[in-house]
Amino acid sequence: MKMVGVAACTAGIAHTYIAREKLLKSARLRGHEITCETQGNIGIEDELNPRDIEEADVVILAVDVAINKMERFDGKKIIKVDTSTLIRNPIGFIQKVEKVIDR
Amino acid sequence: MKDIINVKQLKQHILTGISYFIPLVVGAGLTMAIGRAMAGQSVANLGESGLGYWLYQTGSLGMQLMVPMLCAYIAFSMGGKPALAPGFIIGWVAQNINTGFIGGMIGGIVVGIIVNACKKYVRLPKSLEALTGMLIIPFLATAVSGLLMYAVIRGPIVWLMAVLTDFLQSMSKGSRFMYGGVLGAMATFDFGGPVNKTATAFVNALYAEGIRDAKTVQIIASMIQPFGIAISCLIAKNKYTRAEKETLKAAVPMGCFMISEGVIPIAARDLVRVVLACVCGSFVAGGMSMMWGNSSELLNGGFIAFPFFSSPVQGLICLAAGSAVTGIILAVIKKPVTEEEERAGENLGRELSEKDLDDIDIEVIG
Repeated sequence: MKMVGVAACTAGIAHTYIAREKLLKSARLRGHEITCETQGNIGIEDELNPRDIEEADVVILAVDVAINKMERFDGKKIIKVDTSTLIRNPIGFIQKVEKVIDR
Repeated sequence: MKDIINVKQLKQHILTGISYFIPLVVGAGLTMAIGRAMAGQSVANLGESGLGYWLYQTGSLGMQLMVPMLCAYIAFSMGGKPALAPGFIIGWVAQNINTGFIGGMIGGIVVGIIVNACKKYVRLPKSLEALTGMLIIPFLATAVSGLLMYAVIRGPIVWLMAVLTDFLQSMSKGSRFMYGGVLGAMATFDFGGPVNKTATAFVNALYAEGIRDAKTVQIIASMIQPFGIAISCLIAKNKYTRAEKETLKAAVPMGCFMISEGVIPIAARDLVRVVLACVCGSFVAGGMSMMWGNSSELLNGGFIAFPFFSSPVQGLICLAAGSAVTGIILAVIKKPVTEEEERAGENLGRELSEKDLDDIDIEVIG
């Protein structure tokens, strides 16, 4: 399926970027198409393309804090997870996403 | 009820507030410290204009925004954009009625609750719907939370802070080592949280009266967490994940300027042990510093303040001793990173059975 993601942690220094990397790798490994932006202490980087959001089957929020520009995802199916949960087992998380979205 | 306040997410809201206010503390704190450093013996030396005075003023005005910022972004996290403006106002109220950090936190949550309640229960005719966000929410959230702050919330918080201040004052009459130790421990206990801010308020009050040894304790103690944790990481590399080592690379330079918030992610994974070790280290450092009566001319700034101590060398010795205590204790009591956590640093995990999948905690919206 097609996914878009946002990663953001409290300090916006380390976990944000680790979460993004893991989300991208594990989703691609399981055959999904994905792009992911980060909202770290520097602000939004790799900002999501509106067309990707439009086409996405699911929005993945790997976030520990409230994020900016949530209104982009109005009406989309959203799955929210702590960065620590995602980082612990990214493959397992993607599996769970597949299960939830299939239903 | 869940769409008004979700207790499970309260932590996320507070973390959001903190993530927005860290840059403010850094920016304003450093600016103020540099301005203050240019004054030498007394702030009065800065006069009414000039580089030092302008820097000092900019920074100290900025610091006054700390509580409003925290309050506003806790409210923002709970109620979105409409909660931001009332959050700033209530945070400013919290600042002005001297309820400080705790008041700001509670105020932010109150604003969030009221905004969410308005969103749910205020129903206007279609033609007037635009008024909800423009008029109803900003007004109701501000007015109601403001009344609550003054009438209900102020009392208990001011009382609590008074009790703590009394406790500290009574300590100052006893053993100097104990007194400095307790002050130091309070400064590190909650990583810039309410206990730390109460200690700060107390120490600043003393500073204003010309008693400046307590300030030194606090400056040194606030730097112990990042340095102590870094030392323990050097001693016991296997007890930190890759992510934590990355975090430390940023946290140590921040620590040089007395910003301890950088280590919060590390503390969060292993709260009890990290806090215990940090409190021990800063107790020792605080006690030593107070015993020697080392006093500080600056209010903050980390290493920038050291040249303005009555004895910079004693300051460095206290800092080194405290950091070493924290580092060694933590290196001993911290558990090695488990197979699972290590994998979290390197691998992408593994496929799970249907049953294990249920244990992954996610929230599905929409």
